[in-house]
Amino acid sequence: MTVFKIHSFNKIRCLATLVMLLLGASQAFAEEASSARQIVDKFQAQLIAVMKEGKQLGYSGRYDKLQDAVSNSHDLTKIARIVVGKEWEKLSETQQQQLVDVFSKLSIASYAHNFKEFTGEAFIFDSEEETTRGGVVVHARLTIPDEKDVKFDYMLKEKGNSWRIINIIANGVSDLALKRSEYTSILQREGFDALIAKINEKIDNYSKL
Amino acid sequence: MKGHPNVELHATIKQTLPYLLMGIFALSGCASSNTGGQQSVYSKADPYEPINRKIYNFNDKVDDYIAEPISNVYKAITPQFLQTGVFNFFNNLDNINVILNDVLQGKLHQGAEDTGRFAMNSTLGLLGVFDVAKSVGLQQNNEDFEQTLAVWGIPRGHYLVIPFLGPLTARGIPGAVFDTAANPSSYVGAPVQLVSLLNKRANAEGALKFIDEAALDPYVFTRESFLQWRASLANDGKSVEPADFEDELGTEEDSSSPKAPNVLKLNFSFNSGQFKQASRSFSSTSASFENTAESFKKSSEKLDDLKIRH
Repeated sequence: MTVFKIHSFNKIRCLATLVMLLLGASQAFAEEASSARQIVDKFQAQLIAVMKEGKQLGYSGRYDKLQDAVSNSHDLTKIARIVVGKEWEKLSETQQQQLVDVFSKLSIASYAHNFKEFTGEAFIFDSEEETTRGGVVVHARLTIPDEKDVKFDYMLKEKGNSWRIINIIANGVSDLALKRSEYTSILQREGFDALIAKINEKIDNYSKL
Repeated sequence: MKGHPNVELHATIKQTLPYLLMGIFALSGCASSNTGGQQSVYSKADPYEPINRKIYNFNDKVDDYIAEPISNVYKAITPQFLQTGVFNFFNNLDNINVILNDVLQGKLHQGAEDTGRFAMNSTLGLLGVFDVAKSVGLQQNNEDFEQTLAVWGIPRGHYLVIPFLGPLTARGIPGAVFDTAANPSSYVGAPVQLVSLLNKRANAEGALKFIDEAALDPYVFTRESFLQWRASLANDGKSVEPADFEDELGTEEDSSSPKAPNVLKLNFSFNSGQFKQASRSFSSTSASFENTAESFKKSSEKLDDLKIRH
């Protein structure tokens, strides 16, 4: 009996240690869950999941699902600020807020529109590197059956204790640089209201297409 | 007899190439002298934006009213397998250019692979109609003479929009001349070239639709994506550390070509009397170009009028 008791006590202790180890490990995992690569991996997985359900969800369903996915992986405020360049300083606080709002909506809407169906696509991680100015670039590929892979390079910056995407370079074309040229050009040529009107028009089109 | 036109064309290219190259240096030279002080809303890569925009709008109208409708008919009446065959056929011919440029860029290994690809598709693939090389893992590479010139260190020059043809850089002009001369499909007469054009338009459909949907300013969107895409092709898609623009918040910088100023500096050594003359003659060409652009604007307005009336 005694032997049995000791044995089972040992067993329980072992089990408890194991549980504690597991808990510890998952805690450590939770702390590291916000590394640059994990942010990208998670976002890509969410995107593929939405694509798989794309048709059933419809545009508004995809939009709702992607709203958190995009907001939690991208630093939309910073991106909105960068795409208007030095014009940012000339905007009033209300205008800045308005820009961040419509820009965020546009970003989610364009994902909801462009990633609407699944035909066997998959994201593959290639490599990760630190940039000279404290950022991280995650190199990945989107494989599409019967088509050439599309290279996706994600640039991330630290925000608080986590990482956020600030730029996506698809096949060598930088989204941030592209938008920056467009937005500054419109602001300089046509002004703030025209820019907001154009962004709203795009959001509207995405919801109808 | 058959050889004559080729020889003639070759001679013409030989004669015009130096002028075209001089044109590039002149273009680059203009940029170098313009950068001081003058605050312009135009991108450094695109100092001719007002003219380019007019031609862009003209091309857009031509596409809307002529190219797109014809291309739609082509797509409607041509079965998908035939469209793919046509695409593969011209794509296979393009491989002659790819191989030439592989060699000119010193990419001998890739050149050998592309030669294998061309040989396989021309024989087993029945003159290129079937892309059999793809199924054995030989990917289509993208090389052209503009990329070769980039590899040789020739500066990009400015962004130009050519009537009916679309975006190009100054470096792309000799590039296009060379590639056209080296491609057999340039010598086989109008009907084949028409099919080639239809094929190109049909395949650009997706990209053009994407621009329509995504661009707030289609002109700037096309320019920036074109320049970035060409730059990425020229360095074979190697990742260059992308700018994060954080330092630039609050400063006016050229986003499209952070490296351009260094490249342009190379041209100062060409700043001789002859060079200035070339530059001046370019200015007058540019002025007449502006007049042409004006007439393009008018023609596109006329096209609009026609559309409204009908």
